Amino acid sequence: MRYGTYLVPAAIVLTLGSLACKPPKTAEQIKQETQAAFNEGVQAFKDGKGRETNPYVNDKDNPHKAQGWFDGWDKAKADKEAADKAAAEKAAADAKAAADAKAAADRAAADEAARRAAEAEKAAAFKAAAAKALLTIHFDYDKSEIKEKDRAILQGIADFMKAFPAAKVEIEGHCDERGTNEYNLALGNKRAAAALAYLKTLGVDEARFTTISYGKEKPVCTEAKESCWSQNRRGEFKAK
Amino acid sequence: MPRFFIRTFLLALAASWLVPGLRAQQTEVVLSATSSAKLVLGMTSPKISGLDAATVASDFTAVLRKDLDETGVIAVLAERLPADGAPAKAWKEAGAQWLLNAKLTKAANGDLQMEASAVDTSAEKGVFTRTYNANKIVPLRYLAHYLADDLVGRLTGEKGVASSRILFVRQVSPGVKEIFQVDRDGAGLVQLTRHGSLTLAPSLASDGRLAYITYKGGAPEIWGQRRKDGPHEKFYPTTAAGGMLSSPVWSPDGKRLAFVQGDRRGNSDIMVLDVASGRARRLTDGTGINTEPSWNPNGNQIAFTSDREGGPQVFLMQDDGSNLRRLTAEGLYNASPAWSPNGAMIAYVSRFEGKFDLFVYKLGEGKAYQITTGVSTSESPAWSPDERLLVFTSNRFGPLQLFTTDLSGRQIRRLTELPGCQSPRWIRGR
Repeated sequence: MRYGTYLVPAAIVLTLGSLACKPPKTAEQIKQETQAAFNEGVQAFKDGKGRETNPYVNDKDNPHKAQGWFDGWDKAKADKEAADKAAAEKAAADAKAAADAKAAADRAAADEAARRAAEAEKAAAFKAAAAKALLTIHFDYDKSEIKEKDRAILQGIADFMKAFPAAKVEIEGHCDERGTNEYNLALGNKRAAAALAYLKTLGVDEARFTTISYGKEKPVCTEAKESCWSQNRRGEFKAK
Repeated sequence: MPRFFIRTFLLALAASWLVPGLRAQQTEVVLSATSSAKLVLGMTSPKISGLDAATVASDFTAVLRKDLDETGVIAVLAERLPADGAPAKAWKEAGAQWLLNAKLTKAANGDLQMEASAVDTSAEKGVFTRTYNANKIVPLRYLAHYLADDLVGRLTGEKGVASSRILFVRQVSPGVKEIFQVDRDGAGLVQLTRHGSLTLAPSLASDGRLAYITYKGGAPEIWGQRRKDGPHEKFYPTTAAGGMLSSPVWSPDGKRLAFVQGDRRGNSDIMVLDVASGRARRLTDGTGINTEPSWNPNGNQIAFTSDREGGPQVFLMQDDGSNLRRLTAEGLYNASPAWSPNGAMIAYVSRFEGKFDLFVYKLGEGKAYQITTGVSTSESPAWSPDERLLVFTSNRFGPLQLFTTDLSGRQIRRLTELPGCQSPRWIRGR
């Protein structure tokens, strides 16, 4: 009976103890519960219920649940942060691109303006040179020979043509009112041709000239006297 | 021209065999075209219906009287007129050889009808009867022109030119010239081109097709009508620049255009363009100036101006460039030849003491006659279709205006008071 004194209480203690104490959770259970808490948290987040506090935070018995919940919360947060960051980065990139484009456009505009200015300057220089060089020559009545005093003008025109290799010039032949309209057209053609031939001897490519005759159809002076006629018997040079 | 030869033959017959003057024997010809005698015509007041008397007096009677006076072959009786309704005998006593009666009717729709008849007052028989029907758009003046033309035709064998028109170039603003048309009596001015540039040298084919030069594209181009009343289109140059171009002139058959093309060496040459094919052929040899071509009525010879022997002179050649010969002998500046419609005369201008006068070269006689004289310049002669008159430009009243003259040079009339006119051409109106 001596053994009974120890064995019976021991048996009672073990029996009660085994009844009172739950068996410990297996790893698989813990994993499942963690996953469930995680899903619950994700769902709460998705539903926008704004559950800011973790319901398992004080569940000391199941710390894995609290941890699982946190996991879900943090992922959404991380996702949101990542999305925000990407959006911010994109906005920044866009802004930069826009700024770059604007800068490029400004630069191009500035270049264009500069080019235009240069062109205008060039055109003005050409115009000034043309106005200076393309003077009118004159002829004797019913004649188409180049006069001695007009040779300097033609030399000036030749120099102008050499200075501006792209320049093209139209030579106009004109006559005074005496003589028939048609004969004067032919005479004007002869005068333009005489000027062309002279310019050719000065070394200018004749392909850069066109000739046209206006006969007596475009007088600069319309009175019937020699001072007027001598002005009308002329060769004009027009830059084209 | 068979009609011309027949007429010439009949005239020669009448001159050598018959009493000179008025004689109608089995022919239409009553009066020689060159005779200075005029037929005296009495005109009764026209009978009118649907028209008011004032309009008829101004737009018909006055126009007809002026037309007939200017024919050169009819004199309208103006003094000692018998009363209306007087018999032909009374008119004969007053001096009228023919008596003209006209009846004008205006229908409700505006159309005009004219019945005209003339009687010989000595023989007391009808010499002329004709009825005219005119659409309402035809002015009353034109009926007077038609009647005058037919009376002249009855008298001389060739229709008059009262209904003819004159084409000319006129400056509309500095550097801009356009082609205009005016009736032979100076009325009815019409602008034919609106290119807004230099437009020169009109020529009209016998069927009314126009050709001319325009600078609208910068350089001169030949433009014209390929068919009657057709649009104006470019004829030449067909490809690139053509150089200087001037003086397009229709050949009498209206198929070819003589024109002038200048090269860059200063030469200008007479060319002939076949309008249908667009092919051009050069007739002169490429030295110096050759310009102002004028066809003879057969279309097988061309008169032109050339400076090949120094100053400008008139030359003739065949239409293939052969048989070249100089026509004008005297003077240092002879130009602007115009071959007469019947081919026997060539009008031209000659410079004398710094101004120009009209001359007519008679090919049969080989002699030139001076038509105009004076201190002013007379230029650009063109023949009337009946060869009786020349139209020309002159600065006798200041600016260049259009005038007509008979071949004696004694009857010079101003055609219009428009200033700045040049290059007249005279053409039949119907």
